[in-house]
Amino acid sequence: MTQSTLEPPKPAPAPQPEPAAPEPTAHKRRRTLPSALGEPMVWLTGGALTTCLVMIVLLFSMVIINGSQTFWPRPIDQLELTTGETLLGIETQHEPATDQTEARTLYRIGNRDIGQSSFRWINDSDVTTKTQPADAVMLEREAWGVWFGIPEQIIRVSADGADPEVIASSADTYFESFDELHSQARQDKALIDRMKKKDLGRINARMNQARLELKQAEIEASRQGETLFRFGVLGWGLVLILAGACVGALIRFRMYGTEMGSPVARQGKLIRAASTVVLVMSLVALWVGSPWGGVSITESDLDQMRVELAQSETELQAEYDEILAEVREIEDADSQLRVTIVEPTTNQFAPTSQTLADQRLHMSQIVRQVRPNTMGLSEKLGVYLSRWWEFLSTFPREANTEGGVYPVIMGTVLLTLLLTVVVTPMGVIAALYLREYAKQGIITSMIRIAVNNLAGVPSIVYGVFGLGFFCYTVGAYVDTGPSEKTRMSVSGWWMLLVISGMLIIGAIATRLWSKPDPGKLPGKLNVVLQRLSWLVWGVSVICVVMLIAGTPYFNGLFEARSSDGTPTFGARGLLWASLTLALLTLPVVIVATEEAIAAVPNSMREGSYGCGASKWQTMRRIVLPGALPGILTGAILAMARGAGEVAPLMLVGAVKLNQDLPIDSEAPFLHADRSFMHLGFHIYDLGFQSPDSQAARPLVWTTTLLFLSIVFALNLLAIVLRAKVRSRMAGPTV
Amino acid sequence: MTLMDTPATNQRNDSSGMTRSVAYEPKGDAKAVKYEVIDAIRSGAVPQATVHPEVVAPDAVIDVQKFNLFYNMDARALYDVEMKVPRGAVTALIGPSGCGKSTLLRSINRMNDLIDGVRVEGEITLNRSPIYAPSVDVIELRKRLGMVFQKPNPFPMSIYENVVYPLRIDGERRKSVLDEAVEKSLKSAAIWDEVKDRLKSSALGLSGGQQQRLCIARAIVADPEVLLLDEPCSALDPVATLKIEELINEISERYTVLIVTHNMQQAARVSDYTAFMYLGRLVEYGPTASIFQKPKLIETEHYVSGRFG
Repeated sequence: MTQSTLEPPKPAPAPQPEPAAPEPTAHKRRRTLPSALGEPMVWLTGGALTTCLVMIVLLFSMVIINGSQTFWPRPIDQLELTTGETLLGIETQHEPATDQTEARTLYRIGNRDIGQSSFRWINDSDVTTKTQPADAVMLEREAWGVWFGIPEQIIRVSADGADPEVIASSADTYFESFDELHSQARQDKALIDRMKKKDLGRINARMNQARLELKQAEIEASRQGETLFRFGVLGWGLVLILAGACVGALIRFRMYGTEMGSPVARQGKLIRAASTVVLVMSLVALWVGSPWGGVSITESDLDQMRVELAQSETELQAEYDEILAEVREIEDADSQLRVTIVEPTTNQFAPTSQTLADQRLHMSQIVRQVRPNTMGLSEKLGVYLSRWWEFLSTFPREANTEGGVYPVIMGTVLLTLLLTVVVTPMGVIAALYLREYAKQGIITSMIRIAVNNLAGVPSIVYGVFGLGFFCYTVGAYVDTGPSEKTRMSVSGWWMLLVISGMLIIGAIATRLWSKPDPGKLPGKLNVVLQRLSWLVWGVSVICVVMLIAGTPYFNGLFEARSSDGTPTFGARGLLWASLTLALLTLPVVIVATEEAIAAVPNSMREGSYGCGASKWQTMRRIVLPGALPGILTGAILAMARGAGEVAPLMLVGAVKLNQDLPIDSEAPFLHADRSFMHLGFHIYDLGFQSPDSQAARPLVWTTTLLFLSIVFALNLLAIVLRAKVRSRMAGPTV
Repeated sequence: MTLMDTPATNQRNDSSGMTRSVAYEPKGDAKAVKYEVIDAIRSGAVPQATVHPEVVAPDAVIDVQKFNLFYNMDARALYDVEMKVPRGAVTALIGPSGCGKSTLLRSINRMNDLIDGVRVEGEITLNRSPIYAPSVDVIELRKRLGMVFQKPNPFPMSIYENVVYPLRIDGERRKSVLDEAVEKSLKSAAIWDEVKDRLKSSALGLSGGQQQRLCIARAIVADPEVLLLDEPCSALDPVATLKIEELINEISERYTVLIVTHNMQQAARVSDYTAFMYLGRLVEYGPTASIFQKPKLIETEHYVSGRFG
């Protein structure tokens, strides 16, 4: 104040005559920038959302519209061309005139067996007349695709070469008698198929099994020369006594050091843990080194087996021939019933097959006859639904371009379920450790980053890994045991067994003594012991893996089959595909579960600890149930991700065609070793690998629609499950 | 009447206890008074607690001996606390926020183990067995104590399952035993009549007061040696608080209760003994009647009458 009176500020203050009372409106109005106005942002964000929605709706409606009209029966046109040709076909696509081409229409004309391609562009100007004859039919056949023609007669040829009996001689009588005869013929066909697949298949499987058993015996006999260490009876007895001593120690020391405040609590724990480890190891030794374990197959045993095999083969062959004769009989009877369906261009009737062009088509070869030009709406609907049913319930024909996708659906659903069943517990366990047990710090952060990065690895990389690791390494191990390279020497293996046992005990001991006393901070010794225990744990895990992977006592579960050159698990298959996808979706489950676990309030955990619950009891009874909805969300996300994945499947198990379902009535019912069909791969196959891609195009849409619906249904199932869990957990007011 | 036990000899060099700022504004006529003990504590000293002769050598359930607790290596929360909790009575811990009441309570069932970097010195014994001895199984320890928390924390399960939780984790499966225990402890917690018809419905549907009584039922179902209550009414309305207080009076006939409370009136109403703590030190400890009516320290008198803190 004094300063300002001594030297006044340079811009001389305006003389203020009197301190006027401030105006009531003297508050400075704060500026509102144009950018503060929100309306454009509302439009912008709303517009972005709308764009997304439109795209989603477009995608779904396109798939639904295109996919659902494939099976609708459309009228058959008869075209008279200026060249004098007469064609029967279904209009599929129209194209207006362009610079190069006139206006033209794509007709599906079928009849591939007489050498024409099944689709044909016809210029509109070439058509003189276009009619829709009432009698025109489209035949869907077992082979050679569709046939368009006008039916003329049904005959029954006789086996002895006499003149055929004419059952229907005009189109009218043809249609009258067709339905009944056709359904009978189809029933017979189904019966034959079942007999061939089931009865003959079973006999084949039994023959094969018997042969494999002999082969296995031969392999084992050839191995008898090798000397694998086995205990003598005395040594074995000593190990047995050791195991007994461990059990005794477990019982004797079960309460040792457990009373509160006991100074020997750690010793007690160590004694019990060590006894358990030694017990497990000696049980392994007892089993592996049992003096009675080795097989002794003599040459006479083998001869005996060979004789038995020959005997049973004769019996089975007789049975086989019997069934085959029965099949032939029905087939012959059915093949007598023939139809004459004439196509108008060359007046050629539909033949049985391309090589037997002079024989009329067997009625049993007709899957479905459609006469769309006279059909009413309800009949069309009937055809539509029956085609859908066929699509969903039968096996594919004609390089997948016709018939159904039943095995494809089964493969997809099984794969997805299997992967979910594998990935959910794996991810939950990993997340539980990471969130509940592990000390939060730089290492857990690094693991989290690594897990998240795993989600970004291109899926084909997982395919390569799955093929290399699961199929060719683990699978080969399951089939034939350790390879020559990994197989350890017998003495080395036993040494490693003892070393691993000692290492595990050492790890437990260091772990026990690394924990500081209650209420004390970890001292230097504790820290050193803790690091040591981690190290010893790591080494012992490696040792145990080596013990299993290099054991000279294991020769695989499917040795005989592999020696035939047909690996069982050592090839691409459902199990390895689902494990690969499980690995791929693991990060999703881990991240979701971790979040769900973190969201369980700490007061719940404290409450549980306060009741005297251990950490694991708290996790099992409080944390896991509380996190269950979140865990299910993770499972749903994993399922959705896994179901849509195709690229890795091409490497680890999806195939173009497999008539054997991965699940059937033969033991062990779920054949996880089989390759499988998958909808995603099927779509790719139909669209790009099919010999008749034009004919397959509508099926691509239909299959896509089906795929979408299945993934949607699986997700819906899981979401309903989660809603159930949630409603059970939440109270009425919360 | 002020009995000071030579603060000079207890003068400590470290001043880490001084990091907390405390609402300490003498008001009204208190301005004239000099708080010798409090001032000593604020300057970092650890004066001897003023313990009334009635609680010097009773039959103690819990015996806290020279107990110190440090958070994060060296942030000290408790200073040489010496305290015997008498059997079969209600003992209240009072004191301003951050004075270590809850920390002391949670040290008794070793809830502080859950926090990283906690270190203790000294010992606490529960019925003469040490709590902090090496190799004490903390789970077994907690099974001997019941605890009720500040905020009601019933588990998201049915009322029935909430009550039998401590028995379930002990592996009790017999329905008759569980049914009997539920009825007995819900009756003891004075909530049986309200919930007996909906034992299978979710516990989260109860009101706050009911939830807290349910938590008390859960805490006593396994017959603990001591019941620890950590400000059990701080999240409740006055009516619910009253019910809990009546309940504490009832169950104190069968259990030793140690209760932490912010509310001086509550301490006066429910407890037989009261300990006044300040900045991690036990200041005065004696029968509730004497603490509230004729305390030996002027600080205690002013604190319980609301003139500071």
